Amino acid sequence: MDLSFLTVQVLSALRQAAFLFLISSGLTLIFGVLNILNFAHGALYMLGAYFMYWVTLQIVGPAGFLLALVAAPLGVAVIAAVIELGLLRRIYIQEEIYQLLLTYALVLIIDDLAKIVFGPEFKSISKPEILSGSVTLFDGTVPVYTLLVVVLAPAVAALLWYLLYRTKTGKVVRATSSDREMADALGINMSALFTLVFAFGAVLAGLGGALAGPARTVFPGVGTEVIIESFVVVVIGGLGNLWGALIGSILIGSLETIGIIVFPEFEMSLIYLLMVAVLVVRPWGLFGRPLKVKALSEKNLAMEAQEISPVHFAVHPAVRWAPLLLLLLVPLFAGRFYQYLLTQIFVASLMAIAFNLLLGMTGLLSFGQAAFFGVGAYTAGLLLTKTGLGTLSALALSPVVAAAAAGVIGFFCVRLSGVHFAMLTLAFGQLIFTVVYKWYGFTGGDNGIQGIPVNPIPLGGLGDIDIGSTQSMYYFVLAVVALSVELLRRIRSSPFGATLKSIRENGQRAAYLGLNVKLYQWTAFVVAGAFTGLAGGLYALMEKSISPEIIHWTKSAEPVLMSIIGGIYTFVGPAVGAVVYITLNSYLVAWTEKWALVLGLVLLTLVLLLPGGVVGFVNEKARQTLGKLRCIRKWSFSKSATS
Amino acid sequence: MVILEVRDVVKSFGGLRALQEVTLTVKKGEIRAVIGPNGAGKSTLFNVMTGLLSPDSGSVRFDGEQITGMPPHRIIRKGIGRSFQITNIFPRMSVFENVQVALFSHHGKSRNPLSMARKFKEIGEETLGILDRVGLGEKYDASASVLSHGDQKRLEIAISLASRPKLLMLDEPTAGMSRFESRETVALLQKISREQGLTLVFTEHDMDIVFGISEKITVLQQGAVIADGTPAEIKANPEVRKAYLGEEIAE
Repeated sequence: MDLSFLTVQVLSALRQAAFLFLISSGLTLIFGVLNILNFAHGALYMLGAYFMYWVTLQIVGPAGFLLALVAAPLGVAVIAAVIELGLLRRIYIQEEIYQLLLTYALVLIIDDLAKIVFGPEFKSISKPEILSGSVTLFDGTVPVYTLLVVVLAPAVAALLWYLLYRTKTGKVVRATSSDREMADALGINMSALFTLVFAFGAVLAGLGGALAGPARTVFPGVGTEVIIESFVVVVIGGLGNLWGALIGSILIGSLETIGIIVFPEFEMSLIYLLMVAVLVVRPWGLFGRPLKVKALSEKNLAMEAQEISPVHFAVHPAVRWAPLLLLLLVPLFAGRFYQYLLTQIFVASLMAIAFNLLLGMTGLLSFGQAAFFGVGAYTAGLLLTKTGLGTLSALALSPVVAAAAAGVIGFFCVRLSGVHFAMLTLAFGQLIFTVVYKWYGFTGGDNGIQGIPVNPIPLGGLGDIDIGSTQSMYYFVLAVVALSVELLRRIRSSPFGATLKSIRENGQRAAYLGLNVKLYQWTAFVVAGAFTGLAGGLYALMEKSISPEIIHWTKSAEPVLMSIIGGIYTFVGPAVGAVVYITLNSYLVAWTEKWALVLGLVLLTLVLLLPGGVVGFVNEKARQTLGKLRCIRKWSFSKSATS
Repeated sequence: MVILEVRDVVKSFGGLRALQEVTLTVKKGEIRAVIGPNGAGKSTLFNVMTGLLSPDSGSVRFDGEQITGMPPHRIIRKGIGRSFQITNIFPRMSVFENVQVALFSHHGKSRNPLSMARKFKEIGEETLGILDRVGLGEKYDASASVLSHGDQKRLEIAISLASRPKLLMLDEPTAGMSRFESRETVALLQKISREQGLTLVFTEHDMDIVFGISEKITVLQQGAVIADGTPAEIKANPEVRKAYLGEEIAE
């Protein structure tokens, strides 16, 4: 290895680290003070790059470039301040999941708006001439721009250090970050501080985008790639810790550079592997501290109205079975399109209800559920294409293999809680995704598996059932999903289900009931994984082709969205959410390209107006009405008694 | 008969010795108060006794069995119930479910995933029985989160009773309560102890309550036991008067 090669690689690693640091320092600062993991941080980065693009188009030359470098981050800060004042502010008292969801909705909205304003194509930002050349350094050829980035980022880090450690506001920010209640008690103006920090974090993201734009390219959705990398950085470094973000950026920047040289196939896997390794050994990251456990926080109590289950209240079985009967009749009057749409909804419902066993019932936000869907789908797909196994046996093995995967992954994940749990599941999910994506010899890599043969199911001596047609597939999937959903419903109403609920409400108290809390959480994780895997197996059968996209983290967001749309504290909520989500998707995609925008607006409305979800809202109304009826009845009784 | 025996327990945090060779013996059916100024080590002692912390040295024996260093969920199964200083219930579950879920655990039914919870008639009856005993029978289908502070404390005691403990440890059972609520809670505890021969160990700041209901009092100061005896003995103990009680009981 000669010096020139080394120089080029080291600088390339540092450049990557510099970009990562700019983005993740803002992310970690916001988390430290606001306690919000800002999904929209990648979108803010993208806006920074687009503003850079726009300003440099208006004013060409070095002056324009310099101006853009200042104006773009400030523009992003203004937008961020509006977001904080107009939206985030309204949901600080709600549970974490709603804050995550709101920032996720912002990602969808900002991405689509960017597409409308700047167009869907890749944009490159031109650099002024003095920054376009390269220089020779230790015999290596290094672009001038790389040097600029590598010098500028440490300057920003130094400025950050100065602001945080040498100014009064900085001290307030640090105090709030380490103990919010204390800071609150000291009379610090929290709302002004929150706006300031959110906008300042956005400046850093915007600067990252503005600087990275000319080096990379800009396109709508670039944020979703950037944000996951930054999550990895801040989680490895320790959430809320600025030094962690710095060290994490250097680690990941170097690892990516080494990875590209040594394991070009599995470069991305390396990053997630590192994240998993760090979280397993140090659950709170390299520099992080355990987050304060909020056993009985005000947040929980703010949501108290969401679930009050009268013990003697049960839905009549007829009400439960009527929809199934209706669904059995659907193929008689609906065409193949609707049958196919409904089949999709069945599969998604199964996944969402299984997932909600974790989120709604146990209080665990898994952000890697697509991994188990994928494991199930690939199990069925590979068995059917590569072995002579029958359709039913292959499908039956999907949940088994998925449960095994969930068993291993869950073992590590349930040791964590809250946002760390979510991040570790995300890391495992992405690890599986990157492996499947590149492992051409086994999984077919990014080509996936096409033409999965679905043979008729033999029925002993009674002939075969062919599930090749849309209609027979409809019935087959309906039968499997109905049975699974009934099983999941029983689990929910069982003592085991009640126990999971108690763990969600108050894990510490549950331990004092003599319950091994981690074991119960692990069991819930495995059960959810198994049913999700079964949904994946069904997906492979109905689509007859699968690709790694079904494992990507954006796919993991789907059951989260569905559950929240429908209502996480209800059993059928996630299924209702699946109906809404998939119907919206298939109709809107036909009408408009702005499907993400509409979905984002729907989510936003939901978070702000109907935090209990559609079904939660209906339940609440029903209970109020029933309550009134009961009062009226009591009143009329007492009247008739006295008269 | 001795039910709880703490012997020479030492626990340090960093350089701070939170417990210094604490020894404490509680008889079955006794009502025992552990008092001391803030930071005297009461909570640490409770946490060691219920398995939340492991002692550096020394032992805890319960009902003749070593329980030192066992995890909380196993210690609970041996028969020690615990109620917390901060009200510790399952807020978004009904009052009924709060106790029911504790009974499922006590009867080893928590793992049952496929039977309906409401089909367990006997556990349902038992749940209502416990709720009646603590005076919450009427409110069984309310959400626990909407109860008054005093009622939430009763519910917490009901949850603790569900595991049929032989020993119930209460960390400031009347913290944050109105005078009326405190008196009711104290009466409830006395009643339960009397009716079931339940041993109570509690910490409390309110000296009226401490001297009103305890049969024995242990005084901690800076992690060490400085006195141990009947309320009368404690009142008369000059060291206690000097170190802790000061003017408060100097008639």
